[in-house]
Amino acid sequence: MKVVKIKEDNCVYCHLCEVACIVEHSQSKDIIKAFKREERPIARCSVEFNYPVSLSVMCRHCDDAPCMEACQNGSMHRDERGYVVVNPDTCVGCWMCIMACPYGVIKRDTRREIWGLSTKCDLCPDREIPACVEACPNEALTFEEL
Amino acid sequence: MIIDKNATILYYLLPKFFKEAEKVEWMKNLKEYVPPSFVVERDDYRCIRCKACVEQCSFGATFYDEDEDKVWNWNAKCVGCNRCAAICPTEAITVKRADPTYRYNHNWNTHIDGLKKRAIFGGTPVVSMGNDKPYPIYWDHMLLNASQVTNPSIDPLREPMELKTFLGRKPAKVEVSDSGLKTRLAPQLELEIPIMFAAMSYGALSYNVIESLGRAAQYMGTYYNSGEGGLNKDHYKFKGNIIVQVASGRFGVHKDYLDVGSAIEIKIGQGAKPGIGGHLPGEKVSETISETRMMPKGSDALSPAPHHDVYSIEDLRQLIYALKEATEYKKPVAVKIAAVHNVAAIASGVARAGADIVVIDGFKGGTGASPQVIRDNIGLPLEVALAVVDERLRSEGIRQDVSIVASGGIRNSMDVVKAIALGADAVYIGTAALIAIGCTMCQQCHTGKCAWGISTQDPHLSKRVNPDIASKRLINLLEVWALEIKETMGAMGINSIESLRGNRLNLRGVGLNEKELEILGILPAGE
Amino acid sequence: MRVVIVGNSVAAINAIEAIREKDKISKITVISDESYRAYSHPLLPNLVIGEVSRSEERFYYRRNDFYEKNKVDTLLGKRVVKILQKQKQVILENDEKIEYDKLLIACGGKPIKPPMEGLELEGVHTLTNIKSADKLRKDLKNIKHCVVIGGGLIGSKTAEKLAKKGIKVTLVELMRRVLYPVLDDTAADYIHKELKSLGVELILNDSVSAILGDKRVKEVELKSGKKIEADGVVVAVGVAPNMDMAKEAGLEVNKGVVVNDFMQTSDENIFAAGDVAEAYDMVLGIKRPIPILPLAARQGRIAGLNILGGDVKYKGGFATNSITIGKVSFISMGIVDSDELEILKIKKDGEYRKFLIDEENRLKGMILVGNIEKAGMFNWMIQNKLDVSWMKDTFLNSDFGWKYFNKAFRVLRLDRKIK
Repeated sequence: MKVVKIKEDNCVYCHLCEVACIVEHSQSKDIIKAFKREERPIARCSVEFNYPVSLSVMCRHCDDAPCMEACQNGSMHRDERGYVVVNPDTCVGCWMCIMACPYGVIKRDTRREIWGLSTKCDLCPDREIPACVEACPNEALTFEEL
Repeated sequence: MIIDKNATILYYLLPKFFKEAEKVEWMKNLKEYVPPSFVVERDDYRCIRCKACVEQCSFGATFYDEDEDKVWNWNAKCVGCNRCAAICPTEAITVKRADPTYRYNHNWNTHIDGLKKRAIFGGTPVVSMGNDKPYPIYWDHMLLNASQVTNPSIDPLREPMELKTFLGRKPAKVEVSDSGLKTRLAPQLELEIPIMFAAMSYGALSYNVIESLGRAAQYMGTYYNSGEGGLNKDHYKFKGNIIVQVASGRFGVHKDYLDVGSAIEIKIGQGAKPGIGGHLPGEKVSETISETRMMPKGSDALSPAPHHDVYSIEDLRQLIYALKEATEYKKPVAVKIAAVHNVAAIASGVARAGADIVVIDGFKGGTGASPQVIRDNIGLPLEVALAVVDERLRSEGIRQDVSIVASGGIRNSMDVVKAIALGADAVYIGTAALIAIGCTMCQQCHTGKCAWGISTQDPHLSKRVNPDIASKRLINLLEVWALEIKETMGAMGINSIESLRGNRLNLRGVGLNEKELEILGILPAGE
Repeated sequence: MRVVIVGNSVAAINAIEAIREKDKISKITVISDESYRAYSHPLLPNLVIGEVSRSEERFYYRRNDFYEKNKVDTLLGKRVVKILQKQKQVILENDEKIEYDKLLIACGGKPIKPPMEGLELEGVHTLTNIKSADKLRKDLKNIKHCVVIGGGLIGSKTAEKLAKKGIKVTLVELMRRVLYPVLDDTAADYIHKELKSLGVELILNDSVSAILGDKRVKEVELKSGKKIEADGVVVAVGVAPNMDMAKEAGLEVNKGVVVNDFMQTSDENIFAAGDVAEAYDMVLGIKRPIPILPLAARQGRIAGLNILGGDVKYKGGFATNSITIGKVSFISMGIVDSDELEILKIKKDGEYRKFLIDEENRLKGMILVGNIEKAGMFNWMIQNKLDVSWMKDTFLNSDFGWKYFNKAFRVLRLDRKIK
């Protein structure tokens, strides 16, 4: 099962992976509308910078995912492709997955009315190659078997 | 900004790597006003405030104002490298040349800024890359022949085309016997294509670029020149595809270095700055550079103008043979000279001094750092130098004693063909290779802030060159040029480089006067 | 092989999933005194005030077809009263005997009833299962002022939710802060402020001595002598492992049902997992029951694998909590307060970070209030006993993350799909 491989030597800290992730998870999938007209989605990958180190991290889709183990109502589950995804209709935003994730790649979306929503990389179910991989200008993210 | 009142060399146009807006800029306006060279135009509708351009601008020209939620520029700091425009995901940025705001004056317009800067800062400007002034380009005045009817052209898809060539001293005649070659040959360099990567030092360029050059040279079966900066140990793996350079500063020259090279090139001069030595600003002498060059970190690496042990042709002969002794006569020794007025005589002397290869570097060659006045006013065009050297060596009957490598402003595959037709055995490409990797010729290499990660030692910027991608680009470049050369040679009815070399009958001059044609040794179009 | 599981919550479900990964044939029977499929206990306070309903998928731990898909027989609404070790049988309330080859005790915990008068009055509730949640929900219309006894995990959440519904709430806590074992004074201060801003009256360092009333509760008397008028009481002083049955059966019990590293009780054919089990706490170095959901899941899974004959070791667990009260979220793990450990902490605007490190430079516990992103990285550090000497000074940065590690560490860990 392919996941996104991170090559920090090639990351130039341009954030285009985050931009692509936001566009991919937006309503309109149009880059300008996604940023200026819609409620902007949260980027599932995070670019970190500590001169001269820069890299983008996102969910590793672990074989024995601790986030799935910690989820209190099964919202965190494995989909048909084999990737670990959140069911937004049942997630209650208890953040136990954030507590469990050893990679620290789950983010909080607190904009919903009653329930929070755990947000993390879902490996772009509507695409052949994840948006971040395609957008990276320097091949710091590649889509391959780990 | 560094001002060394004692030295004649000084760097201005050296913006720091800003992270926050330096709003005190305006205070310098009246004291130091020089209009900006570029204007960054940003389409507000398209700008999504992703701030990629802010992060990518290494010259401190782009900022994000959080309160106003706007991205803006200090145009004075923009050097026109176009990194921001390239990275912008919505094409919101256009970098434009700022039209000069002075009244039109043919005599003075291009000189006002330079004059003011010298007066304000009290130093001479340093620039990078090759001469950018509108001197004539002789390549563009030469046309190639094609074969038709009387002697048919050759179809490169169906007949073998030989691009291979050998660099080294050739004997005047060979003796063969039943068991093979009886004459002992001097050591040769075998090139699959007659194009090599020019001398660009590790120090002027980043680690990743050298890695890419090495990989491409290895793959294509050609060579890259280490330049005068020594070799990083990680690059010893390219042994078999490196020409090591011994320059006047002797940076990084030791036994292992000579051992790794397939040939050794003594750098007497460089086309971009004839008569003076190499120059690496202190900003670019990082930890690894200082280790490789065997010099203190952070200090300017200034190579002296002459080699201080070479003051005559006899001294050069001594150095050549010292290197040959050190390498047991197994490797060709090349000598690189800048194209100057008596280049023909110098080349003849170099050949007689025992060199196997003579490299001629024309005045359009690139450089990592050079005083502007030297780069823009000294030297000779490569085309002319090549023609006169080839002619002189032939007339003295010593043409086979050396291979000639032409270097300095080779821009495309047709320049390569024309150079070989004028008499070169092979060419070096420097600037063209860097442009293939990503260079946009903003001429700021000397600052060490290359936004493309090519001519910098900053570890954060160097990441911008991915050796996997860059080496592929270089390989693509060479393969495409090889294809174009084969196509052209086929059209000319020639099927090997050896047949093209010095074959001036295949060139015709257009728009050149009689004297120029005579010096180049080519016929005018129509004859 | 016949596998019988007593209990139908997190540990049981994970055991079933573990068994069914490899074995589709063995018979699995789940016996539970509740008649619903496995549900999310943390959502009970939300159920009480109607934020979630029993008809929503959100409320349940697994989907409706879970038992059918995994070929699990369920005996719901039946209580197991006895375990006969030698005969390898469990006996139900209605005297039905169920035979087993392997037994898993995963019956969780039951609310602690403090010794006080008035517990049987109308309007006095607990909140540990659907039945009690339903009862409280139906009683809400009769409650204007509710006293919540106990400021623990259940108590604070209940107080928050009831206050959200417009009920006047008084929270009485024995210790000097709510969430005593899970937070320190500074962190709890955030919770106190938030509860107060939600309209909850906090009474600390006190406890309820008696609940007074005729048929229905009218007022509550505190140890300090204070009396509070109340027409509703929620008793939330704690949960204890439901181990009576195991004790009676002769299995080794202490504070919970004692298990070894393979989740086996003193009888090799009987396993225990979840809130009922007393398993190894790897931070404190002792065995104790830790009623935390992710641990129940892991223990259940390991029990399931070992029931099949595997020898998967439970490396030990420690308390981890993620709670949101109002707008304040926090995550805490391990030991949160100590005089013997090195403490690194910083309090900023809306954010509190605290880390406890032992003399061998191992992280033993942490608290994050406000900025809880990346908390799991510390969980991993505690679990793997990482030597943090080389990077502990970066823990207090709000932007803590992968960039503060060194490259070798990053490449090693990010290149794997498993931790």
